Amino acid sequence: MKLKRIIPILLSLVLLLVLAACGQSSAPAATEAPAAQPTKAEVAAQPTEPPAAPTEAPAQPTEPPAPAAEPVTIQVYYPVAVDAPIANILQGYADKFHEQNPNITVEPVFSGGYGDVQTAIQTIIDGGGEPPALAVMLATSLYDLVNADAIAPLDDYINAMDNGKAYMDDFVPAFMENSKYDGKTWSIPFQRSAVVMYYNKDMFKEAGLEAPTSWQTWAEAGQKLTVKNGDTTNWGIQYPSGWPYWLFQPLAIGNGQNIFTDDCHVAFNDPKVVEAVQFYIDLSHKYEAMPKGVQSVWPSAPTDFASGATAMIVHSSGSLNGILKQASFDVGVMPLPGKADGTYASVPGGGNFYILKGAAPEKQDAAWKFIEFVTQPEYVADYSINTGYIPNRTSAFDTDAMKAYLEKTPQMMDAFDALQYAGAEFSIQDLGEVRNIFHDYLQKAYNDEMSAQDAMDAAQKDAEAALKPFCE
Amino acid sequence: MYTAGAHYRVPANPIPMSVKTPAVPNRKQKPLLPYLLILPTLVFVALFTAWPTLLAIYESFFRQRLNIARFREPSFIGLQNYATLFTDDRFHQVVNNTLIYALGTVPISIVLGFLFALLVNRSLKGIGWARLAFFHPALLPMVSAATVWKFFFTPDYGLFNSTIRFLGYHGAENWTGNPSLALLAIMLVAMWKNAGYYMLFYLAGLQNLPTDVYEAAALDGANGWQTLWRITFPLLRRTTVFISTIAFIDAFRTVDHIFVLTSGGPSRASTVLLYYLWQLRFENQDIGLSAALTVIFVAVLLVFTITNFVVSERAEES
Repeated sequence: MKLKRIIPILLSLVLLLVLAACGQSSAPAATEAPAAQPTKAEVAAQPTEPPAAPTEAPAQPTEPPAPAAEPVTIQVYYPVAVDAPIANILQGYADKFHEQNPNITVEPVFSGGYGDVQTAIQTIIDGGGEPPALAVMLATSLYDLVNADAIAPLDDYINAMDNGKAYMDDFVPAFMENSKYDGKTWSIPFQRSAVVMYYNKDMFKEAGLEAPTSWQTWAEAGQKLTVKNGDTTNWGIQYPSGWPYWLFQPLAIGNGQNIFTDDCHVAFNDPKVVEAVQFYIDLSHKYEAMPKGVQSVWPSAPTDFASGATAMIVHSSGSLNGILKQASFDVGVMPLPGKADGTYASVPGGGNFYILKGAAPEKQDAAWKFIEFVTQPEYVADYSINTGYIPNRTSAFDTDAMKAYLEKTPQMMDAFDALQYAGAEFSIQDLGEVRNIFHDYLQKAYNDEMSAQDAMDAAQKDAEAALKPFCE
Repeated sequence: MYTAGAHYRVPANPIPMSVKTPAVPNRKQKPLLPYLLILPTLVFVALFTAWPTLLAIYESFFRQRLNIARFREPSFIGLQNYATLFTDDRFHQVVNNTLIYALGTVPISIVLGFLFALLVNRSLKGIGWARLAFFHPALLPMVSAATVWKFFFTPDYGLFNSTIRFLGYHGAENWTGNPSLALLAIMLVAMWKNAGYYMLFYLAGLQNLPTDVYEAAALDGANGWQTLWRITFPLLRRTTVFISTIAFIDAFRTVDHIFVLTSGGPSRASTVLLYYLWQLRFENQDIGLSAALTVIFVAVLLVFTITNFVVSERAEES
């Protein structure tokens, strides 16, 4: 008789397990959902393949020394940080690469977010295992990776190229800011983005406003475009600050002082940085253009913007494709206004290719070949078009595919143009710890637990203490 | 899940630890089989529990930081790591948060689980659906659950704010950005997720209760409240001990939702021990300090678990 009672539970359990299984499998499927796109990617890649031949030539000199080499299989650990079918795109590139280099097989390995990739690799190295030859990790992880002796410098490879200097000079300078240390080059830009401001051009026009050109005009526009409807508010500005350093940096840079000066020194309590913190607070307290306190709205801000619930958001350029897909108005993309009239600011972000030192030498060589392969202008353009990342090489803009894309999506050019106002992304010794210190106090200031000045003084003091064993 | 299945059959002994049945009682020779049977478990426990714990104890006496070249090789510093931790304001705040988190979520989710179990332990039409409704959060992966809640917690128009507004509260709360609400927010998610899971254990316990006791009570004229307090609850005591043990361990062990909802913020307001451990190990790359924290962590859990069992065994005897 008890059994009878249990049966419905068991049945519902089975049902739920099935549901849960579906639910779980739908999670990865979500990232793969636009599965139709890989074919589009291939289509896009194919017409550009003939021109790929000339750029391929420089790769050949490295080939002759190893005729009919042993087959090599390398893994590439990569994160997925944007809403795009990265897995399919990378597999497509790996297949193409294998066609041209039959002795090298590249296996892209999805490893979670940026943090997960680094954790996975650290764990392998700590355990005495052989790490993957290639990984996409944050450009800003440079010092930690060098200090941990995890990555190999790339200068020998670059010098061995026929046109090594031209190759490197072609990368967008803002994206190279975090690649050099100790006179060596340690990483090659891959999937790069920038902090930009999205604004609703239709709303601006209706309110008779021009795109802001200074902190003052920006805050006033936000104030004017804030609409209260009873209990809810359509805010003029949404400015996420749940994990705040990256989006904050353009405020400091726009006031003429980045939050760090070199790999051992922070400038948290520089008067200009303090003023930038105060401006963020003023946007809510003084101008009432956005809600008060720390805003954990990173995932919802693009949706709110695209649905017209907010007039401006500060976000990653990586959200561009998603916003354009949903928005039914004219979407404007621009760098963040600086304090003085006519000044602007931005900051790059995203991941670079790193070659892991612990991998066998022939695998490292194969990894470099793959880097050269996917940084050909045609592939840079293709990756950008299909993911929303900003092309990392200037020559990518000369490809037909990119020209056609910019015709349809001029905002991508605006995102790229924002980079000319960019300062370096926060990268420093002991990054994780110093960044957490900065976050703690910045959020205390945002939440009115401390004044901007006191918070930044405390952050400066703690950060200097944390940096001491690294820099003395 | 397998513990749940075992629980249906052996309600009195839900903990594998207490299973000591003699395997082959009839033979006089030394019983080898039982040892062979537990050998795989022993190997796994030794490899994945005992060894890492010993290693952590050893490493906690050394200074080793992977991101500082000259400290990459470990050097012995005695109890320095423990001293650093105990004088660190952040550690104090984190311990505080963890205690609030554990003492808040554990009793409430257990009470909720018990109430749910009482509610669905009747033969009504469609009661299976009610059970399903209460239990389904337990089946969601924590990250998925937290992602859903992230949208519930959206300031202004999120489901959570809309609901409390519907109930008459007019102040759009910033749940994950406000330092005095962030910890509460992650506790709510944990309680929502765990109550249904604990319900399952209580439900299994309830269904295995002897009916004659209730018949006797009914004859004596006991009312519903008396039956519940004097019979049902005491009879389920072992289940409660078991649930409180796993609930407490769970409270220390679950951090996935913190990564999704608050990243431990704002200003560390929702950072609990395990999250801090992750930061020390993988962000600060401080092997020694994170090993010391691990040791403290394991010690707290051991002390709690042992106390819990000893106290309950005593109560059993008296």
